[in-house]
Amino acid sequence: MRILDRKVLRDLWKMRINAIAIVLVLGCGVAILVMAVGMRGSLERTRLNYYAAYKMADLAVSLVRAPTSTASALAAIPGVSAVETRVTGLALLDLPGVREPASAHLISLPQIGRPGVNDVSLAKGRWPDPDRAEEVLVNDALATANGFQLGEELAATLHGQRHTFRIVGIANSPEFVFVTAPGEIFPQQDRFGVLWMGEEALARAYDLEGAFNNAVFRLSPEADSVKVKRAIDGVLAPYGSAGTYDRDRMPSDRFLTEELGQLATMAAFLPTFFIVIAAFLVNISLTRIIAAERSNIGLLKAFGYSDRTVAMHYAKGALVMAAGAATLGSVAGWMLGRMMASVYQEYYRFPRLEFEASAAVYAGALGIAVACAIAGSLTAVIAAVRLAPAAALAPPPPTSFGNNSAMLRSFSSRLDAKSRIILRRIVRFPRRSATTVIGISLAIAVLVLAGTFPAVMERLMHVNFTEANRQDVSLSFVDAREIGVVHAVMNLPGVILVEPGRADRVILHHAGNSVEETLIGLLPDARLSRLVDARLEVAHPPAAGITLARALAEKLNASPGDLLEIEQTSGRRLITHARVATIVDPIVGASAYMEIDALARLMREPGRITGVNVRFDAAQYDRFNAAIKEAPALAGASFINLAERSMRENFDRGVGVMNFIYLSFASVMAGGVAFSAARITLAEQERDLATLRVLGFTRLEVSYVLVGELAALGLLAVVPGVVAGTLIGEWLMKLFSNDLYSFPYVFNATGHAVAIGFALGCVATAAMLVRTGIDRLDMVGVLKARD
Amino acid sequence: MDFLRTSKRIEQPNMQVTEHSGNPTGELTYALRKVCKRYGDGTAAVHALRDVDLDVKPAEMLVLLGPSGSGKSTLLNIMGGLDRATSGEVWFGNQNLASMNDDALTQYRRKRVGFIFQFYNLIPSLTARENVELVNEIADDPLPAAEALELVGLGGRLDHFPAQLSGGEQQRVAVARAIAKRPAIMLCDEPTGALDVRTGVRVLEALVEVNQRFGSTMLLVTHNADVARLGDRVVRFLDGGIQSIESNSRRAAPSDLEW
Repeated sequence: MRILDRKVLRDLWKMRINAIAIVLVLGCGVAILVMAVGMRGSLERTRLNYYAAYKMADLAVSLVRAPTSTASALAAIPGVSAVETRVTGLALLDLPGVREPASAHLISLPQIGRPGVNDVSLAKGRWPDPDRAEEVLVNDALATANGFQLGEELAATLHGQRHTFRIVGIANSPEFVFVTAPGEIFPQQDRFGVLWMGEEALARAYDLEGAFNNAVFRLSPEADSVKVKRAIDGVLAPYGSAGTYDRDRMPSDRFLTEELGQLATMAAFLPTFFIVIAAFLVNISLTRIIAAERSNIGLLKAFGYSDRTVAMHYAKGALVMAAGAATLGSVAGWMLGRMMASVYQEYYRFPRLEFEASAAVYAGALGIAVACAIAGSLTAVIAAVRLAPAAALAPPPPTSFGNNSAMLRSFSSRLDAKSRIILRRIVRFPRRSATTVIGISLAIAVLVLAGTFPAVMERLMHVNFTEANRQDVSLSFVDAREIGVVHAVMNLPGVILVEPGRADRVILHHAGNSVEETLIGLLPDARLSRLVDARLEVAHPPAAGITLARALAEKLNASPGDLLEIEQTSGRRLITHARVATIVDPIVGASAYMEIDALARLMREPGRITGVNVRFDAAQYDRFNAAIKEAPALAGASFINLAERSMRENFDRGVGVMNFIYLSFASVMAGGVAFSAARITLAEQERDLATLRVLGFTRLEVSYVLVGELAALGLLAVVPGVVAGTLIGEWLMKLFSNDLYSFPYVFNATGHAVAIGFALGCVATAAMLVRTGIDRLDMVGVLKARD
Repeated sequence: MDFLRTSKRIEQPNMQVTEHSGNPTGELTYALRKVCKRYGDGTAAVHALRDVDLDVKPAEMLVLLGPSGSGKSTLLNIMGGLDRATSGEVWFGNQNLASMNDDALTQYRRKRVGFIFQFYNLIPSLTARENVELVNEIADDPLPAAEALELVGLGGRLDHFPAQLSGGEQQRVAVARAIAKRPAIMLCDEPTGALDVRTGVRVLEALVEVNQRFGSTMLLVTHNADVARLGDRVVRFLDGGIQSIESNSRRAAPSDLEW
């Protein structure tokens, strides 16, 4: 090893505490980057491979009933490489050990062979025998959540008739990577599942023998999907087709895409924080080293070392730290990625989801770490290069503290001498002071952000479950019913209040844009299910016209007064029109809303409803459930308490884990910045502080000078930190908002206080730790040495 | 030099107190008995001071002379309460510095001792006046900063920062800072070591005036034999011990020195 390189290592050892802080902060940035980019890549790759291997559909269509003979006409459409016609439906399940009724999506398997589109991956057991009507495959999530064993029986109500199925296999499908019941946002894996069974048996149960009501397609690579969709719709129009749609309208894929988008946001945004801070820390530390190394730089140059060698010598220290951070961050990122993958695996049912970051990700991480080190060391290294040997060998002139503004002079004249030292140092070294302030502010900002997420989640849940949905359960019917059904529901055990509900799946067209959404019928003066916006205001449906969620209005490019074309996706596939009355900001979902009677009239079903919202006596919970498990007309029951629980679990595990990671990393950052700043302040002031001790100042008085500077910088960082955290929080919430939620920014006073307290606590701890250096000040030594 | 307008004599340590047994100071300011300073242990031990005995009288100007490493600065640091003797007694009045804890030594430096160092050790972020005021904040009956600076001929540079002053001026600010608290003892370690002759003489003149007008006991460490002519007595150091102590029959004036 060359002597100069040995010196690099010894210099690093000398500044090891600062070096560790830098490596940790930069390492955190690298870790998040590796995790987020790697996770995104892993999900993307796994999805792609899974879709390819198991023939995920490119297009899908639901219809009322078409004869099986139509399949050949569909297969003949140019651009269609495979078609699978199926019988599908919803069924209520009566699961042993589950108090509430559960439901399942039933999907037919071909009588012979495996599905040519949306194939099923068998995890356990065997394929159902097409001749045995009772044999089914159950999706992995439902089976795991309920602990189903092969051979176990399931009671189900299909089309009003009770059936008993036997589980012969446990399976996954690319169609159901993410499994949610219709209308639910979060998976309730124990209460909603997918059952696959032989086509003939299922067709019999739904009175669809010799017919199908669903078809899925794969396209050849060169196919024009718009043309193909038009052709399919043409073929199926006479059979009550609900319109062919692309993969991006398939719920599972849509959720996955949203998740990937959030990972991309995270990968782009959060590591930047850490990397910028690390660059700051490198800059502060290296500037300090080079200042202390002044005479050595002069010596090296006097010996004949070139500027380049000197520059490289000092840059190498930063590069070693970058290499350390890249290694540490890559390992941590890989570990976090594996952890995240196991969390994702619970929600996204891939046959196998493994975290795998490509070599390019790790190389990129190293590259970014190195770039950060270079950026951070640039000014310091240039300063070293610019030092003329003779000037470097002579003692530096005392730092000039002149030229203060009149305002500062008059302010400082009112301070005692020790406070004046603090003030003048802060003002004299504005770049360094600013760096410390920015570092601590960013730490506060990240901590504020970490406190914002849970607050937003709480608000979201509060609005959704306490303000908007006050019912205990929403029941949906197999088909629209007369309003009189409300009385029947009222007679169920324990029912206190029933309000009619209506929801129609429609495609809205405006200005060349088409969006499939749910059109929800709102009851004026509803007491149970209400439309509440982020400001907790109840939006009442106008007597005429349609109300749009802002996200939906933007997608449609529609404003109040615009006329929308509304296309029913089922039944008669009516096409009607309605004018946009108002735009609202709901917190969950991006639906369209109408007054319930107006909606029923619009759908040409006056006086008919598609569901009810019910409040019942909690003491009658089991009796109520037993009754609805027997109700043949019921398509689904959405329990608010269960939805809330699943949402909370989802947040705790998903957002919660992430938030924990950010919080830990933000703490590292706050600690790293505070500790570096404290160490450097002590190192720079050592001589002055020792002089004060010699002059008879007590340790406490001398500590004031050191701690006071850090405290002042820490306090200066509070306002910018909070402002930055708030602004970034608002911006991030907008960025994270999607069709499913519009995240309201919530000012979390406690979170802010915790963030400020924690960051200042880090500064105080660092100051106290470094302060012990005052006890060890070498009063004799420092007086012998020149400045 | 006629800039001294204040001539209040400074109180010397209590010479009468005898409640501490073994206090040998009597009329002396300092009484050092068998003072040793050793760094390290065993074969690696370095003896910076060996069995030094020294008496210092009130208001005396004592010059400590010797080559580097001879122990003179070590002794000065021990007498100033910056360092501790490994063994022996260092009596200042009725107080044995060797047995004082850190807080007591801090108070001793604060109340009694004025230091002047080779490299000035001014606080760069404070002006000349503020550097003096810094010490005045913790002194009992200090001279006003402006007056102390006037005494050393810097009345016109009160609001200059160290970076705006020459070396000699900076050292005179250090002298002003030391005398402002009216210290009983002035300890000067190579005060002219970093200065040229002309500015060095000016600093020494200030020190001599302080010694004569205020009656501060002054210990001046130097390796410059000519500076020794300033003192009442000259203590020569060699290898951690006192080689000789000589009295000057007549103290030279700083302006007579040559180096």
